[in-house]
Amino acid sequence: MTASRVTHIGRWSGVHAANGDDAVADTAVNDLVSILDAVEVPIVVVRRDFTIGCFNKAAADVLGLSTSDIGRPPGAVSALAGLQRLEQECDEVISGGPEARVDLHHRHQWFVVRVSSQTRTDHRITGAVLTFTNVTVFRASIENAIYERECTKTILNTVRDPLVVLSADQRIESGNRAFYTMFGVSRDETQGVALYELGNDAAAAATLREQLGEMLTGVHASGPVEVEDVVTANGRRTLLLDAYPLSLPAHSERRVLVTFQDITARKEAQAARDLRSEEELRRSEAFLAEGQRLSLTGSFSWKVATDEITWSEQLYRIYGFEIGTPVTLEMIRARVHPEDSTLLEKMVEQARDGLNDFELQYRLVMPDRSLKYLHAVAHARRDQDGHLEYIAAVKDITAQRLSEEALAKARSELAKVARVTSLGVLTASIAHEVNQPLSGIITNAGTCLRMLDADPPNLEGARETVRRTIRDGNRASDVITRLRALFSKDELTLELLDLNEVTREVIALCVSDLHRSRLALESDLAEDLPAITGDRVQLQQVILNLLRNASDAMADVHDRPRRLLIRTERDDGEWVRVSVRDAGVGVDPQSMTKLLDAFYTTKSDGMGIGLSVSRSIIERHHGRLWAEPNDGPGATFSFSIPSDPARVADVAPG
Amino acid sequence: MMDKRSLVSVVDDDESVRESLPDLLRQFGFAAEAFTSAEAFLASDLVSETSCLLLDVAMPGMSGPDLQQELTRRRQSIPIVFITAHGDSTVRPRLLARGAVDCLLKPFSEAALLDAIKAALGRPEHRPARAS
Repeated sequence: MTASRVTHIGRWSGVHAANGDDAVADTAVNDLVSILDAVEVPIVVVRRDFTIGCFNKAAADVLGLSTSDIGRPPGAVSALAGLQRLEQECDEVISGGPEARVDLHHRHQWFVVRVSSQTRTDHRITGAVLTFTNVTVFRASIENAIYERECTKTILNTVRDPLVVLSADQRIESGNRAFYTMFGVSRDETQGVALYELGNDAAAAATLREQLGEMLTGVHASGPVEVEDVVTANGRRTLLLDAYPLSLPAHSERRVLVTFQDITARKEAQAARDLRSEEELRRSEAFLAEGQRLSLTGSFSWKVATDEITWSEQLYRIYGFEIGTPVTLEMIRARVHPEDSTLLEKMVEQARDGLNDFELQYRLVMPDRSLKYLHAVAHARRDQDGHLEYIAAVKDITAQRLSEEALAKARSELAKVARVTSLGVLTASIAHEVNQPLSGIITNAGTCLRMLDADPPNLEGARETVRRTIRDGNRASDVITRLRALFSKDELTLELLDLNEVTREVIALCVSDLHRSRLALESDLAEDLPAITGDRVQLQQVILNLLRNASDAMADVHDRPRRLLIRTERDDGEWVRVSVRDAGVGVDPQSMTKLLDAFYTTKSDGMGIGLSVSRSIIERHHGRLWAEPNDGPGATFSFSIPSDPARVADVAPG
Repeated sequence: MMDKRSLVSVVDDDESVRESLPDLLRQFGFAAEAFTSAEAFLASDLVSETSCLLLDVAMPGMSGPDLQQELTRRRQSIPIVFITAHGDSTVRPRLLARGAVDCLLKPFSEAALLDAIKAALGRPEHRPARAS
């Protein structure tokens, strides 16, 4: 280091020698040399003859110059050999040309070499001064910046969504590849063009311009903006634009990054979906309305707090109100049948009190005085605000009610017809079967008498006719046995029955008949009856027969009340008894047993077969049927059957 | 007043009647014959001999009214008394309207039978005597 310094001083001394004042000059030179040696920038002076004149310490340290290099051309020094055109540049500077710059790469370091003139005080150019500025770090940072920029550009260009940077007046600064592709334009032709001029649609452009203006000038973020009908390379598209203000430290000008999203397909799908769901809603509303119309069921909602009532069209039709009229509770009250209004009021009060589902049937009196039967079912709920609301369905059951009544009437008429018909057919067939042998018996008996009365009596003939009489008598008896067997052939249809219910049905069937005969029917049905297993229809036939029998027995009673009592009760054990008590002519004890034989009758117009068939039905239910005289007038006919035939021992109740 | 030898024919599918009625008729003094069916009667040689026909209404094969019709067709105008075990009151007027003398519902009394036969034989235009 010391050696090199000496060398420098020696060389710079040459400079100073021209001054002539040695002492002062010596100090000045020393200071100058110190300064120059302290500078980290290498400095080399080239003489007019293009040889190295002198250099400072940095030149020795960085470029490896030594004193022996003085007087040699720079090209001979390895460090400076790489300086292209140095001599030419030096010549130009020395001959008064402008200073020049040359790049130098030396030992992984980059320098910018400034070539300037060395001028004496008399303005004579004595050489060229080379100053070496180290730009290695600067250059690396520039290269890095370039690399970063290229990376960013690549990234931006691979982004599918178009992006563009706009200036404050909405002119295009730079866009990514997707942006240029979208609009079908090149970077060069759109540089500085206003974005809103790209789409040809005036309205869309105006909207876009306005929206962008707000984004650029406003402080608030306005959020994405949807712009329809933007003309792009793909035709008219709906774009979603979003803007992000860019603040760059070096730029005072506001810029904005605008992103584009093509939402045309999404919008179309949404529109189609909206259309579809709207259509579906319309359809389901139509279905509901049609369903209500067909099922004669209306519906309503009732907000209890405000008495706000909403009705379906069908409910308006049911009530006969003009569709759309605001409905009030008063209007409803005015339509309800007076007998049902209390019921309705009670229901309304209860509904107001709390969350109770309710159901009721009531009638309306229409303006033409006709009646409507309605069945309402209401469900309580809380609406989104927590208020009590009822949703209800109201069905017009008038037709159903009328047909039920008609059905009941038809059924009772049918039962009557069936009774008459079956009895008629039965009577005819029994008559034929029995009349044939009877006819024989009578004829034979008459013949027999005549044969015995003859003189002389024809005893042989008489015996023959008596034999025939006996035979015909047996034949008649066989007919009855056959008939009874016929009745007991019916299959029983067994089910679990409540005899009270069975009895009530029979009463309902024949109550009008009884009334017509001016009979007072009372019923006394025990509540604790066990269920029994039996054939509903056959047991009803038995009860019907007993009632009819009792009714017939009182046909000629005029001097006392014609009372009929039907009673059900629990017998000893698991037996159930049904009895029918009349106040009729009664039965004498001798006839009691005969009474139940087939074809025995105390009545002039009947065959008495009913009781016989009844008995066979009851016996097939493992029960028994009997008659007993009352303490007062009339008789009581009863049957008793076990509730569970399987558990019955062959013991009837006493 | 009554031709004791008049032939009364009985047509009935019921055996009791076929056995008992001719005996009674004979006790009354009539000649009597019984036939099991209308066809059997028509096949016999006693059709023209018969002064009165006791005819069952319902029989297998040809019925009583069928036989009546056939006899009319053959111009054999025999007075007919129907006998029936079907106690249907609507049958009687219908049969009387078609020219029957009477219609007896089984079982019938001796008196009713005798009255009917007398009425049949009393018809002046039909009194064929038994061939002698």
